[in-house]
Amino acid sequence: MNNSANENLRELLAGFMDEAAARQTAEDIENGEKLLGAYSAPQPDERVLAEVKKNVVAAVRRRRTVVFQRRILTAAVAAAVIIVSGLVLMRYGNQQSSHQTRMVAASIPASVWEGADDADVTVLTAEIENIQSELSGAHSDDGGNGSNDIGDLETELIEVNGDMWKG
Amino acid sequence: MAQRDIDRVIIGCKKGDEACFTQLVDIYGRRCFGYFYRLTGNRDLSDELLSELFVKLVEKIGTYRDGSFDGWLFTMASNIFHDHLRYKQRQTRLLDEHGRRLKSQSAGVADEYDGDADKMQRALAELDSDVRELVMMRFYSQMSFREIADSRREPIGTILSKVHRGLKRLRELMG
Repeated sequence: MNNSANENLRELLAGFMDEAAARQTAEDIENGEKLLGAYSAPQPDERVLAEVKKNVVAAVRRRRTVVFQRRILTAAVAAAVIIVSGLVLMRYGNQQSSHQTRMVAASIPASVWEGADDADVTVLTAEIENIQSELSGAHSDDGGNGSNDIGDLETELIEVNGDMWKG
Repeated sequence: MAQRDIDRVIIGCKKGDEACFTQLVDIYGRRCFGYFYRLTGNRDLSDELLSELFVKLVEKIGTYRDGSFDGWLFTMASNIFHDHLRYKQRQTRLLDEHGRRLKSQSAGVADEYDGDADKMQRALAELDSDVRELVMMRFYSQMSFREIADSRREPIGTILSKVHRGLKRLRELMG
């Protein structure tokens, strides 16, 4: 540490004056400081030091409370930011997915719908409705032949699928 | 106390350890009281400033990085003393006591002296306030001239000259 004890006063003063003057000035300073040491200031009462310590401990505790409150506040603000960001993302995300659905619907070529035969569409619609009603029946059926019904439905679905691709 | 032990106490203070703060009062309390007493000449006022210094130290310890802790502490003590002087000057203006208005900071401080001021205290009161403060800063903080110059943002040559002048005059007055 660079304190007064390990400071080379003469060398320092030599930067501002000639060697003899530096020596004289350093002596003046050293003697003056010795004089100050000889007439030391009165000491504080032990009672005063005890009071200072009490005040310091109170200040440390006060500060600790303030720091804790500040941390709580920071955490609350951070949580609020996360929640608001989540809500914004959810809203934005929903808007995007509905937009995508519309995009998918629009991406089916219009010629497919326009070129389809009305009679075929009617048959397919009827088949789908029939399968839907059988499916709901199979789900609501509490009897033991539920698995057979589902197996039949699968067969029908395969047939409808095949019919559709055959045209 | 060894510097290594003082450093350990300072680290403890930075972590908010109450025991380390009270240890710091034991290490520096007397020196800081001496500094305040030699500047004000008043025991009660020195007690108050000492308490204010250590409470402020609790608030500011996080800002101490490295370098001389003594220099950092005594710079804070000097700021507290100057705040007190400014407060006193404001108070004097408010009271409009023309007769007792301070001719200088030196006279203002002399007004506060206890009746039983010692010989050294009376001699110090004769010095220019700026010079007296520098001499006290150097003596109590044990800072090097370079550290004092850095802390006060004054050229080192000016600091050397003021302290030399002050100490020489003090010897004459005490002669």
